[in-house]
Amino acid sequence: MELLRLAWRGLTRRKLRTVLTVASLAVAFFLMLTLRSLVTTLNAGAEAASASRLIVQSAVSLFVDLPLSYQSKIETVDGVAGVSKWQWFGGYYREESNRFAQFAVDPAITLDIYPEMELEAGAREAFLGNRRGALIGEGLAKSYGFQVGDTVPILPELFPHPDGAGVAWEFEVAGIYRPTKESFDANMLLFHWDYFEETVAAGQNGEAPGTGTYVLEIEPGSDATEVMAGVDALFENGPQRVQATSESEFQRQFVTMFGNVPFFVSTIGGGVFLAILLAVVNTMLMAGREQTRDVGILKALGFSDGDAVKILVGQSLFISVLGAGLGFVLARATEPGLASALGAMFPGYAIRPETMVGAGILALLIAIAAGIAPAWRAARLQTVDALGGDE
Amino acid sequence: MTDTGIDLVQVTKTYTRAGETVRVLDGLDLRMEGGRYYALMGPSGSGKTTLLNLVGGLDRPDSGKVVVAGEDLAGLSRAALSDWRGGNVGFVFQGFNLIPVLSAFENVALPLALTPLSRKERKERAEYALELVGLSDRMGHRPRQLSGGQEQRCAIARAIVTDPTVILADEPTGDLDRDTADQVLELLQRLNSELSKTILMVTHDPHAAETAQRIVRLDKGQLIGIEETASAGAR
Repeated sequence: MELLRLAWRGLTRRKLRTVLTVASLAVAFFLMLTLRSLVTTLNAGAEAASASRLIVQSAVSLFVDLPLSYQSKIETVDGVAGVSKWQWFGGYYREESNRFAQFAVDPAITLDIYPEMELEAGAREAFLGNRRGALIGEGLAKSYGFQVGDTVPILPELFPHPDGAGVAWEFEVAGIYRPTKESFDANMLLFHWDYFEETVAAGQNGEAPGTGTYVLEIEPGSDATEVMAGVDALFENGPQRVQATSESEFQRQFVTMFGNVPFFVSTIGGGVFLAILLAVVNTMLMAGREQTRDVGILKALGFSDGDAVKILVGQSLFISVLGAGLGFVLARATEPGLASALGAMFPGYAIRPETMVGAGILALLIAIAAGIAPAWRAARLQTVDALGGDE
Repeated sequence: MTDTGIDLVQVTKTYTRAGETVRVLDGLDLRMEGGRYYALMGPSGSGKTTLLNLVGGLDRPDSGKVVVAGEDLAGLSRAALSDWRGGNVGFVFQGFNLIPVLSAFENVALPLALTPLSRKERKERAEYALELVGLSDRMGHRPRQLSGGQEQRCAIARAIVTDPTVILADEPTGDLDRDTADQVLELLQRLNSELSKTILMVTHDPHAAETAQRIVRLDKGQLIGIEETASAGAR
C-alpha cells in the first residue's frame, strides 16, 4: 500500500508532464484502436463473404462494363442458380458530401441471392411492384431520416438524367433492409435495373448501358472453382473477356484497388505509435532519474531493491494503463460516429474484442518496456551514490 | 544484555575516482560503546562520512570487520542488510533527505511500512515521534513548506520512529543557523540521555561536537584519538 502511495506521489512530482504523457498515450491508443478496427473491418468484409456467391467482372478492369447479353449465357453454366446485374450508379444525395453506394440490380434475384438483407413483411412485394422503388439499408435510413414512401433524389455523376444535366433521378423508398451480418453494408440503395436501363436509353445518345458486374449464386453442392472456370471459358474469345472470382476475393481486390489500404493504415499507425512509445520511454527514464535521491532515501530506510523496482514499474504501469484506458474510451465514444461516417467504405465498422485485447496486451508491454530501464537502474543503484546524486 | 556498541576491526576502504585510487580508511580499529553519544571529527577527506556509511550498512569495507549492536555486517546479504538497516539504524543527513512529495507525517511513517505494526499503531508512533521533535502542528506540511530546522527535526523524527539501536547523523546542523542548530543538537542529546540511543554524529563544528560525550578524531583514514567532552562530565 505504501509502495502504491509512493508510486502515485512520484507521478505527481511533475503533474503537467504526467498529464501530457497520459494524453499522448491516449491519442496513440485511440489511433491504434481506430486504425486497427478499419483494417479488421475491411478484412471482416472479405471473411464474411458468402461462399455461395461469385462475382463476374471484366478481365480488363472493374471500370469496364460487360455486355447485357452475357447474363443469359452465364445462366447456362452448370452450377449457376441465379444471376443478377449490379451496376454502380455513382451519384450523391443533394450535397456532394452525401455519398453512399447506389446499385441498379435485378430486384427479385438479388433478394434471393442476398439473404443477409432482412425485410419487414410486405417490403419485398412493395419493392418488386414499384418500378421507381428503392430498397435502402437501415444505416441510410438512420443517417438521413429516410422513411418508406419518401422520394430520394440522387444527383448523377455517371448517368445523366434524360431531362437534362443537373436533374436528379428520383427513387421512392419501398423498403428498408436490416443486415443480418454486422459486416454487411447497411448503407446501400438498390433500385430496379429496368428503370435504370430505360432511363439511360431515353437519353441523348440512346445507348443501353452495360453492367459493371454480375453476381452469381451457385447451386448447393456445386464446385465454385468449376463454375468460375466455366464462366471464364464462355468468353475466352471475347468480345469481352471476364474474370469470375469468389465474393471474398472480389472484396479483397476491391479493398486494394486504390492501394494496399491495410498495409498503408498499419504502417502509418504503427509509425505514429512507435514515435509516441519512444517519447513515453524517454519520459519514464527522466522520471526515474529525477527520483534517484528518493530511491536512495528509501534504500537507506531499509526498503529493498525490489521495492524500488515495484515503485518505478508501478508508475509506468499506471501511466500506460490510464493512457490506454482513455484511448479506449475515446475510441468507443467515436465508434458510432465513425461507423456512420465511414459506413459506405467500411461497412460494419466496429472495435472488435480481439482488437481491445490486443490493445490491453500492448499497454502492458509498453509499461514493461518503459519501466524496465529506470527500474533496473534503481535496483542496481548504490545507496551512497543515490544520496550523493543531485536530482 | 545486548551489546549496542560499534566495533570496527582493521577496516580498509578505497575509492577509485577519475582513475585514481584513494585509500579513505586505512586499517582502522575503533570501539564505540553502546548508549553513548559520539562526535566524529576530522578534516575533509579524513574518512568520517565513509565510516558512517559503513556503520550504517550503506557501504561495505574492502577488508576488515564492522560489527554493530552485535551484528557482523559482512555476513549479511544485500537484502538482509536492507532489513537490518530498517530495524536498527536511523539516519539523519545534512540535506535532510525528506521525500518532497510526502507530508511530514508520511515521511516519518515511511520506515514503519517495513514493520509488522498495524495502521493504527503506525499512526500513533509517527505522531508520537513528531510530537517528540515538536512538530505536532506541522504533520500535514510538505518539506518545502517547512523551515530548515523543522525539516531536520522531521528527519530526526523519521530516524527514531522505528526505535533503532543506533542513530547516525551526518553533519545534521551543517545547513542550519546557530539557534536552529542548537535546538537540533539538544534534541540529539535528549535522544541519547532519555532513550539511551547510541549516536554517532559527523561534524566539522567544534561547538556541535562538544554536545556529544566523546569526540573521535580521524585523519587520513586513521584514528588520531578519542577524547571525553565537558558534556560527558555534566551527564
